[in-house]
Amino acid sequence: MPKYESIFIGDPTLTDDELEKLVKSYESLVSDSKGKILNLERWGRRRLAYPIGGREEGIYFLMLIECDASFPRELERRYRINDRILRHLTVRVENEAQLGPSPIMKARPPEREETPVPAPTQPPAPPAPSA
Amino acid sequence: MPRKRPTSGPRGRKKGFKRKFLFRKKKFCKFCDEKIKYIDYKDVRLLQAFTPERSKIFPRRISGTCSRHQRKLMVAIKRARTIALIPFTAD
Repeated sequence: MPKYESIFIGDPTLTDDELEKLVKSYESLVSDSKGKILNLERWGRRRLAYPIGGREEGIYFLMLIECDASFPRELERRYRINDRILRHLTVRVENEAQLGPSPIMKARPPEREETPVPAPTQPPAPPAPSA
Repeated sequence: MPRKRPTSGPRGRKKGFKRKFLFRKKKFCKFCDEKIKYIDYKDVRLLQAFTPERSKIFPRRISGTCSRHQRKLMVAIKRARTIALIPFTAD
């Protein structure tokens, strides 16, 4: 089955929960169509190079999928229907370079996942205001 | 046998003209040089280097990019514009 990479830009006014739901809906769409998600990158909030629909920012997602050749058409159709998607682009993977992490993720400082942000240690309680 | 070109001889005709271009740097295709086969439309920094100032595509005659890579570059730039990674125009 051919591989595709699909980028979509979510509406920045959505809440995190709504965005999560949006991503989930496409994930399940892919798996329901006998496709496979090879990778999902969340680029997060990015400034758009030009305003789209009055929005200056967008939430970028990149899906790397393996699916039937007929599926991208359906996927794009769904993108178009959904007004929470500002833009989308689906292209066929033509080079292995596309399978690795995208330049945008590479440019990021390494995730701080391994070293979780130290829990904010409660500073010693301020001395009780003297009477 | 190929005709031999005179390799030496008086070349004083357009001396001034020649001198002017003596130190021009030879242009080369950046992508051939670095053996880049696939130009990624997501590589914003790379594409920006080829869309200076007004965000127009840097012409081949100036950048020195070879025709094959210029074509690939063009596709990449246009894709990147579609998803608002790089602008169509500056203002």
